[in-house]
Amino acid sequence: MTTALLDHADELFAALAEPNRRLLLEHLGSYGVATATTLAAELPVTRQAVTQHLAVLESVNLVSSARAGRERRYTVHVEPLTAAAKWMNQVAALWDSRLAAIKALAEAPPD
Amino acid sequence: MEQDRVERTVHIAATTERVWDILTKTEHIGRWFGPGTPATVDLRPEGVMVIEPGPPGEKYLARIVKVDPPHYFSYRWASAFPDVLADETNSTLVEFQLAAEGATTRLTVCESGFATLKIPVGREVFASYESHSQGWIEVIRNLANYVEQGAS
Repeated sequence: MTTALLDHADELFAALAEPNRRLLLEHLGSYGVATATTLAAELPVTRQAVTQHLAVLESVNLVSSARAGRERRYTVHVEPLTAAAKWMNQVAALWDSRLAAIKALAEAPPD
Repeated sequence: MEQDRVERTVHIAATTERVWDILTKTEHIGRWFGPGTPATVDLRPEGVMVIEPGPPGEKYLARIVKVDPPHYFSYRWASAFPDVLADETNSTLVEFQLAAEGATTRLTVCESGFATLKIPVGREVFASYESHSQGWIEVIRNLANYVEQGAS
């Protein structure tokens, strides 16, 4: 449901705005399940920074984690991403229809 | 925050002056951005423009940012808050750019600032169809595809 997304749209977009977090999501997606240590080995940031980024992503439900021994294992949730994409598509579709109306008005013979 | 935007372009067989009039004149705005009745426009920086793009009677108080005829027009609007004057915290920035191409005009609209926008539940936009856009949509769709592939 888009409604659930929109309640946190600002936080979601803010979480995705940081390039290292998007990179982190991509890597985590390719692993399926991974620890912060594994992810830090792939990225140009420290393990501590990875942990902080993961906490931000988890706060907006883009990832979830479960404790496994001494570390936490993280996985990606794709639903907020597709919901956000759908919402942005709707914004774009509204502008398409408004631009089409502007075009029709501008190209019509003057009143 | 370059991805935090929706950008759309249309080519119009009319002069930039004609398109500018459609964009900014009171008798036209209501026809492309509302129910057809004239909109109220105070066409100057900090001026207020009242638009009705949604359900009848629901008014939005946009605040004009910049007016540079016939090339550039921008305003902020609080698309999630009817009857509330747009400010830096509750609104997105809408920018129109008009470029002459011979006797025609390339009109580009860019709406940005979604990352700082507070959107209350139930105020989602009401379009029922989907289309393609750039920026955010690409980023999140690519991410979603990537993540789905990685998970499978």
